[in-house]
Amino acid sequence: MENRLELASIETIEKGFAGLGYICSPRIATAVFLAARLRKPVLVEGPPGVGKTELAKTAATLLNLPLVRLQCYEGLDEAKALYEWKYGKQLLYTQVLKEKLGDLLQGAEGLAESVNRLHGFGDVFYSQEFLEPRPLLQAMEHRDGAVLLIDEIDKSDHEFESLLLEILSDYQVSIPEIGTVQAQSTPLVFLTSNNTRDVSDALKRRCLHLHIPFPSVELEERILESRVPDLESSLRHQLVAFVHAIRELDLKKQPAISETIDWARSLLLLHATELDDDLLRSTLNVLLKFEQDIEAAESELPTLLRELTPPATGTA
Amino acid sequence: MQSSLLRFIEVLRSHSLPVSPAETLDAAAAMDVVGYGDRSLLREALALTLAKSEREAHTFFYCFDRFFDQQTADFSTKEPDGEEAGQDKTEETSSGDRQAPQAGSGSGVGNGDAEELAGAQADSTALTQLMEGELLPALLENEGGTLSARLRRAGREVGVENIRLFTQKGQYTRRILDALGEGLLREAVVELEQTGSEALDTLRRYRDVLREQVRDYVEQQYLINAEGHNAAFMEELLSKTRLANIDRRHRDRVREQVRRMARRLASRHSARRRPVKRGQLHMARTLRAGMAHDGILFRTHWRARKKDKAQLLALCDVSGSVAAYAGFLLMFLYSLQDVLPRTRSFAFSSHLGEISELFREESLERAIELANWRFGGATDYGSSLRDFATLALDDINRNTSVIILGDARNNRGNPELEIMQSIYQRSKQVIWLNPESRQAWGTGDSEMLRYQTACHYVAPCGNLQQLERVVDQLLKSLR
Repeated sequence: MENRLELASIETIEKGFAGLGYICSPRIATAVFLAARLRKPVLVEGPPGVGKTELAKTAATLLNLPLVRLQCYEGLDEAKALYEWKYGKQLLYTQVLKEKLGDLLQGAEGLAESVNRLHGFGDVFYSQEFLEPRPLLQAMEHRDGAVLLIDEIDKSDHEFESLLLEILSDYQVSIPEIGTVQAQSTPLVFLTSNNTRDVSDALKRRCLHLHIPFPSVELEERILESRVPDLESSLRHQLVAFVHAIRELDLKKQPAISETIDWARSLLLLHATELDDDLLRSTLNVLLKFEQDIEAAESELPTLLRELTPPATGTA
Repeated sequence: MQSSLLRFIEVLRSHSLPVSPAETLDAAAAMDVVGYGDRSLLREALALTLAKSEREAHTFFYCFDRFFDQQTADFSTKEPDGEEAGQDKTEETSSGDRQAPQAGSGSGVGNGDAEELAGAQADSTALTQLMEGELLPALLENEGGTLSARLRRAGREVGVENIRLFTQKGQYTRRILDALGEGLLREAVVELEQTGSEALDTLRRYRDVLREQVRDYVEQQYLINAEGHNAAFMEELLSKTRLANIDRRHRDRVREQVRRMARRLASRHSARRRPVKRGQLHMARTLRAGMAHDGILFRTHWRARKKDKAQLLALCDVSGSVAAYAGFLLMFLYSLQDVLPRTRSFAFSSHLGEISELFREESLERAIELANWRFGGATDYGSSLRDFATLALDDINRNTSVIILGDARNNRGNPELEIMQSIYQRSKQVIWLNPESRQAWGTGDSEMLRYQTACHYVAPCGNLQQLERVVDQLLKSLR
């Protein structure tokens, strides 16, 4: 992973990501760079919708590697995340092979010899063929490496975090029946968290920590430019300025980049050229997801618009 | 370079950023990868490896900006060209928001001063020595790099990183000045004074510039090295001080500590789940268990897991006799309710009322104020318990823990022990935390010894440490 040309330097990463429509701040690029170089997972935190999951997806596209995604939820356990034995297959095989037993043991004298002979076959039923790899194991089995996304780690239980520790620090999995499985090639690992609870210190210690905040005006404009290129630049200025003003309000959920993009797309569909009161009132529900938030924003609309208008008339 | 990093990490730790040795190694590896050339890049890279939350990142950047501001030259001495190259680099990287501290105050100084001083050499032997030395020419040329390097060397010699108290500032400034060879400068000034040379004012000016720089340097060192230690010391002190004795101006600090404590407790005791024998069949496990019995499914395993629904009811006495404590206890309740949503809080003195809503909706200060205002007054445990019984007795079951914070001083009224006993019988546990020490229980109008019989656990709880220990125990048993 560390020798990949796409990850050769921080500038290359920034350019590569930008080419795929993901405009990243230097901090994000540094994180990806270090993750590849130091072979460490990245714990990405930040409010919802700032592009945490997108970061992993873009990295996979850039590196042309498969993206293995593990969505965490309450009650996720190793059987769903790591591996499971194919019990049905094991059962079926034992039933089918029952008749074979007689042939195998033919000529054996006494119990001890029979058992000895059986020992000779080893643990046939606990071998790779009967192993069902789940996302974490899958990610380690790719020969050229993979991008592993462990999404919303804060939703999982404490026990699951401990399970991750071995994988994240040594890129290996211990399966009691088989032994230790080493990763074919170190995967690039992203963990995301929405901070609904504190991730344990042990896990944090093994990761690089990247916090993605809401973007600056300038960065958000660049993101919009790359994601919604058809939008006129004057409207883009207005739109981003408005979203930033909205984020200053006391809201239940502040609009994130994903909402800004959605909103820009809807404005494009409506052939809007300038933000005005009517347009805002009718499309505010794209930006804000709670009734109270919309009400709060609507009452502030005149003030917000007044702040927007002078530069708008200036550019028009 | 390594030692710079280690010293920096020492500073981070003193600002209560828990940097483990493993993380130190990561930071060193990250440093190797990104190199020392680009300051902002190094800043980001170290932040990624050392700061593990947004809060920590904040502290990290604060420390980084302070620490490496003066250390920049240290980085560059690694460059083959030595100080000069280092100086260039510093200026390059500091073009942004940063102000290079070594750009001294003697800005308008031309070479005229050098000539003037050279001319005055005849008047003073000390001045001659100075002009031949390193210090004065560096001052004259305003060579920030040389100066700050010498400053740091002198600082290390006298061990300025051990500075802890602001009263030590003068002492360290003096020692550094001595180590820099300022004594000679003083001598020269005296000698020039005696001969009445014209160069006297000029020399004095340079002496003042030097002193100012050293003072600045010591000031920065004090901020970096002492601040964190003092904060940690203060916290430890506060956690052992009796709550009633904590001064008003330390309240902010205590509040932060209480909040952290509540968060710590909550993360340690967040709801556990356990498997139950109901719900969806766990096919895989059942089959697996059955394999031992020739594929016959003797033992079933179930998928469903049940979350423990522990409920906490907290009663807090806000009467005059415990007024000093009540603020802290309410603060604690507030934080606890923040992190344990199934907590119901009540406040009482002569009567009792629920304040859970208040805590949910108002800010901490306002909530405490309102609780005191609504329920403050003379204590009557009897009537308060009656109120509590009407409000919440029906909700108490074997999953409920009741925690009472109060001094049990009932003004010789009816203690209503029967209600306490019924709470005791219905609930999982009743815990009474009394701000008074054990010796005071039962003296005067204290009913503690009687109430004690209807509690699973009683403990004195005078300071934050005791409070945390007790609540930790409480939450452990809640599972």
